[in-house]
Amino acid sequence: MQIAEPGAVEQAGDRPRKVGLGIDLGTTNSLIAHFDGQELSVLSDDAGRSSLPSVVHYGAAEITVGEAAMAMAIEASADTIASAKRFMGKHRGEVSDDGYIAFAEEGLAFATSRGPMTPVEVSADILRALKQRADHAGFDHIDGVVVTVPAYFDDAQRQATRQAAELAGLPVLRLLNEPTAAAVAYGLDSADEGVIAVYDLGGGTFDISILRLERGVFEVLATGGDSALGGDDFDRLLADYLMQQLSTEDRSAAQQRGIIALGRRLKEALTEHPSVTADLGEIMPDGPTLTVDRETLNTLCAPLINRSLDACRRCIADAGVDRIDQVVLVGGSTRMPAVREAVGALFAREPLSDIDPDQVVAMGAARQADLLVGNRGEDDVLLLDVIPLSLGVETYGGLVERIVQRNTTIPVVRAQEFTTARDGQTGLLVHVVQGERERVEDCRSLARFELSGIPPMVAGAARIRVTFQVDADGLLEVSAREESKGKVAQVVVRPSFGLADTAIADMLRAGYENAAADMQARQLTEARVDAEALVAGIRAALETDGELLDPGERGALEAAVNALEEMLSSDDAEVIRGATEQTGRASELFAARRMDRSIQQALAGVSLDSLEQDVAE
Amino acid sequence: MVSPVDAEAPSSRDYFELFQIPVAFDVDVDDLARRFKLLQKQFHPDRFAGKSAAEQRVAAQMSAELNAGYQTLKHEVKRAGYMLQRYGVDLSQLEREPVDGEFLLQQIELREQAEALREEATSRDANVVEQLHQSALALYQSNVAAFRLAVGEGKLESAGKAWVKLLYLAKLRQELPALGGSEVASWS
Repeated sequence: MQIAEPGAVEQAGDRPRKVGLGIDLGTTNSLIAHFDGQELSVLSDDAGRSSLPSVVHYGAAEITVGEAAMAMAIEASADTIASAKRFMGKHRGEVSDDGYIAFAEEGLAFATSRGPMTPVEVSADILRALKQRADHAGFDHIDGVVVTVPAYFDDAQRQATRQAAELAGLPVLRLLNEPTAAAVAYGLDSADEGVIAVYDLGGGTFDISILRLERGVFEVLATGGDSALGGDDFDRLLADYLMQQLSTEDRSAAQQRGIIALGRRLKEALTEHPSVTADLGEIMPDGPTLTVDRETLNTLCAPLINRSLDACRRCIADAGVDRIDQVVLVGGSTRMPAVREAVGALFAREPLSDIDPDQVVAMGAARQADLLVGNRGEDDVLLLDVIPLSLGVETYGGLVERIVQRNTTIPVVRAQEFTTARDGQTGLLVHVVQGERERVEDCRSLARFELSGIPPMVAGAARIRVTFQVDADGLLEVSAREESKGKVAQVVVRPSFGLADTAIADMLRAGYENAAADMQARQLTEARVDAEALVAGIRAALETDGELLDPGERGALEAAVNALEEMLSSDDAEVIRGATEQTGRASELFAARRMDRSIQQALAGVSLDSLEQDVAE
Repeated sequence: MVSPVDAEAPSSRDYFELFQIPVAFDVDVDDLARRFKLLQKQFHPDRFAGKSAAEQRVAAQMSAELNAGYQTLKHEVKRAGYMLQRYGVDLSQLEREPVDGEFLLQQIELREQAEALREEATSRDANVVEQLHQSALALYQSNVAAFRLAVGEGKLESAGKAWVKLLYLAKLRQELPALGGSEVASWS
């Protein structure tokens, strides 16, 4: 086992520290952060601004992102896209036309004068702008990024987020749930233990997660929330209140918007001051001057805050814990004193708020990225996350048969057997859905596929095994196989809504053409590095554990490794990748046997350890 | 899209063997958690970042098995079902068999009580809730004891019957209104 000092900085001249960055791709603002082993920092633009408004302007001459794009929102509203995150992973039918957004004819895309832009492409442009900040900060090579997603994001939304990062040319190490990232930001190390609640109240959504840190493992116990509850609702309540104070009912749309914006400003001001004065004269002629105190705001918001507390109670019950040791606040709306007090009272704890609630998610992502690129040792904290929404398939009568329950720790592999309903049935339609409701139409449809080639049999005789596999990113792969008569039919599906894989490949290729030569050279280098690592890895493993294979197996593996080594001189990255993949597959049996052996070794001392620990406790 | 498969999927490991603990209904859950975390720290895909794709696949498979094994052995009812499966009992067959009528009637009664209590959310009597929890818990514990005894003596049929009752009771438990009203303070 490799022994590394947690958090220790690599010595100069030793192995160079790899660059892992954390990205919070938000609905209103996005951030990119870095952890250098000692300090967390949010990377800023030339003007020193750390948060980037998630707004993209598609102008005739150029694409602009952030503050510059926001400035175009009024004069070129159709070409300026905000809040693209709300549309990620959605299809056209799910989204109603929005007064502020013009959709393109086909699929879900925004109609701009540069042509239709999908939410994935808009997000990719935001990510490119964040990547520029990394260049600006001197990171000319990025080894990998961790991108955060809301915990309630379903599979399609996660796939879309990953695609956006790929499109922006960012190597994704992991998608990380936002509340989990916030908990990680506080840098709890292996010595800390306890149960942590993360209360995340953003502009439009509310998330709650309960995590337990114990023996160096950070385990997400449960997540929950309300995807239609956020700070914007508080603004609207305050605006409604202001309108009630006015004598006239007639208001233009512009005045309405003005009052909502005023509501937001008053809400923010009431965080600092016990009472504020609003001049409605600036919005409408002869508008009165009103004084609003914090008490009024608190009374107005109490029902909404209580809704969030109910979600917290359900989540605590799901988690099955009997106490909470720490509470972390995320999201600008948690600055409101009434929210802080209510959360503090519910958990009987003063919430942690040392890190800016707007930056805490990006910072946690940066910490995790630093760990995943391999800068830290084996003694570091391990994160075990859960799947937020149940996964299942459609059965008779439009009902859902759940295969993976929500809050199941990932990665997970779960299988369920199905059979045919008719004599001689040779095909089976599998409809994959995600959600908590009983009926298919109330759940999110992720994919439909058909397993064909089932040998004809009497009804009920076929045994079709549907396997759901969710990886550590929370991404799903479904396969179905029938094997009752020795003949095997199999199909594997990765649901994907944002864009078809071929569309992504096309776009990536288009991007590469600009720097085709560079890109080819880089791909070849990367393919060689991967292949060399595999050759060296297998040889080293054969050296130490070679006796786990019989002479025939060993001979075959050695031959595969030698063949791969000969391929290294090829100038074709594809050829090298193919050979690497083949040799990798050939080594899986050996890898599995080595793991079995290390289980024995890892657990050899446990009984003794636990005895000592119990005595120490 | 349909393609023949030549390789057999790796067979899943025996969960008791996976965590190197004795095959028995009584499991020290703290010790199990310790073993689970130790192994997960070694085999989770995060520990294989930057390694070859083959190693990552094997790690993901292993990590998923650890998760499944831990969840199964941690919960009494799931553990009981798993033990029956290990002895070759077909659980779905068992679930379809008729259940003792008296037990069913009792379940219906308890569920109706729970539902009535859930509906009167604000005015519910804490003592009544407490009592309902007590009777559900007592039933659960007596069936756990029955399962433990039967499985220990190799009486799979009686063990199976106790397991089916435990399934009902686990479901009932989820439907019971929360103890002590809605204040979180009572948990700590």
